[in-house]
Amino acid sequence: MRLNIVVCIKQVPHPEHFHEIKLDPESQTINRRGIPAILNPPDKHALEEALQLKERYGGTITAVSMGPPEASQIMEEAYALGVDRSILLCDPLFAGADTLATARALAIGIQRLGEVDLILCGTHSMDGATGQVGPQLAEILGFPFIGFVRKMEIQERGTVLAERTIERGYLKVEGSLPLVLSVTKEINTPRLPTVIGIMEATQKEIYTWDTKELGIDPALVGIEGSPTRVSGIFERRLSRKGELLQGDPEEVIRKAIKRLRELEALR
Amino acid sequence: MDFNLTREQEMLRNMVREFAEKDLAPKALELDNKGEFPADVIKKMCELGLGGTLGKKEYGGSAMGHLASILSVEEISRVYPPAGFCLEGIHSAIALIQNAGTEEQKKNLLPRLIKGEKIPCVGVTEATGGSDPSVMQTVARPEGDEFVIDGRKVWITLAPVADIICFLATVDGKATAFYVEDGTPGFEKGHRADQVGLKSVPIGEFAFTGCRIPRSNMIGKEGGGLPAALTVFSTVARPNVAAIALGVAEGAYEVALKYCKERKLYGAPIANLQAIQFSLADMSTEIEAARWLCYYGVWKADQGKSVREVAVDTARAKVFATEVAIKTCVRATQLMGGYGLSPEYEVIRRLQDALELFPAAGTSEIMRVTIGRSITR
Repeated sequence: MRLNIVVCIKQVPHPEHFHEIKLDPESQTINRRGIPAILNPPDKHALEEALQLKERYGGTITAVSMGPPEASQIMEEAYALGVDRSILLCDPLFAGADTLATARALAIGIQRLGEVDLILCGTHSMDGATGQVGPQLAEILGFPFIGFVRKMEIQERGTVLAERTIERGYLKVEGSLPLVLSVTKEINTPRLPTVIGIMEATQKEIYTWDTKELGIDPALVGIEGSPTRVSGIFERRLSRKGELLQGDPEEVIRKAIKRLRELEALR
Repeated sequence: MDFNLTREQEMLRNMVREFAEKDLAPKALELDNKGEFPADVIKKMCELGLGGTLGKKEYGGSAMGHLASILSVEEISRVYPPAGFCLEGIHSAIALIQNAGTEEQKKNLLPRLIKGEKIPCVGVTEATGGSDPSVMQTVARPEGDEFVIDGRKVWITLAPVADIICFLATVDGKATAFYVEDGTPGFEKGHRADQVGLKSVPIGEFAFTGCRIPRSNMIGKEGGGLPAALTVFSTVARPNVAAIALGVAEGAYEVALKYCKERKLYGAPIANLQAIQFSLADMSTEIEAARWLCYYGVWKADQGKSVREVAVDTARAKVFATEVAIKTCVRATQLMGGYGLSPEYEVIRRLQDALELFPAAGTSEIMRVTIGRSITR
């Protein structure tokens, strides 16, 4: 069974530099200038799963992202890992999109690809962290959705048998192709690109589709098409204060419990 | 002037950094303590293509270039210098065969070396020294379609584990390059050196006693060994060793900087003290200077400059970067107090590694001779 797989990916600020991100209370935006951008780490697991499925069943992998021109870097990285096609949905009109407007743009882009069997996403993006784009995409496309998948198998009858992580264990869920899945980091260990993969990646074309090319009504995408708006952004300041308790271990434990009760951390 | 890396080089650097931090960092201490050749690490590096950055595509390489080759060595050495040193040995052997070998040798040997299926080494140094080939005592006597080799090589990186051994021997007094496969009668590996640093890199000696090899094992022309070896030393071995030194310095500096930001004295991080800042400032300045010297020489090689034009810059890079590595590691040990001196922590181990780089691919004195001659002729 050959599979036509789409992997949704996103460029995010490098998590190691999150503390350098500045908030602009006037414009209600995040200033990411000077912060290195990377491929969203959870999306690497989705790409890896697609690569392993292609190795097993054959088929094609298309990486799709919505983002600014700089996001072409992650499209190149997807090529370096071995995807067959990288498509960047890029238009100033996409700017300011919430999850629904993002999912709409992705859905229209994916519909343009023709027959698709499987759409893989990471569980969430490291910056927005809503985890909503995958399910919204499935809803718009009319596909089933299985989230937080830690293991998956393609069944001969054209279904996916998946283990879906829940709080105290997992659920076994079966869904018919075509469907959308979000995968957790437990599902695999993402590979690194090879040097030859990197060399080839920079020679490949990144297909860039704008709103005109996609035939999207601008009112449905970007800030215009977003039903949710950021009403305010606030910086959380952490202030930690340490206290040193001294004495023999038993005495220190008694003091610690007493102190924690005073602070209402223990009842 | 464009100081930017190409997109390919940037992606390579990111990939190698991720590999080094995820795969090498957790086992660096254990590998150092065991002192065993990290065969699985070498295999993985070659699978990623790090052995073949200089190899042409027809032999399975990526032909990404000299700068790419040292970027990967630098990133590996920032975390685990012994693996960077092994990579230098592989790069040098591949370059020697690719530059000087016959088409048959290239087709036969290079794909296996690039894939990491076979480990190579390059043996020039003898007990009497390595920088003056006129005293070389290993001889190759022609007999029909064969050469009969007698002699001994010492201090050869990767020799104890090598499958393909490249070496220089004199034919009628003229230095000539050859290779021999491990297991050939008359070829024997000897003592593995005990080292103060780079403990998991096998360095040792080998000897020939009436060892017969076919004429087809001659690399390049009869008498062409010296220019072939010097080309490899100038364009590959020395810049690779310089990049190991750069990586060692960066690794030690980063550990020390983190420590200084976290270690508190009188209620504030010691990084706030001007005396500490001066030391960190000197370290970072010297590292940046070393970086650009390292990159400049190989950038010229990638631009197609002659070996002669490149040699003086790579000699400068090698002497400067190795000395910066040692200075940086010493400063880092000072900044970190007792933690700086414990082998459980990285810095003292990196100082030991840095000391091993002094003689590698030519001592600092020989580098200064090369530089001195070029500016006074």
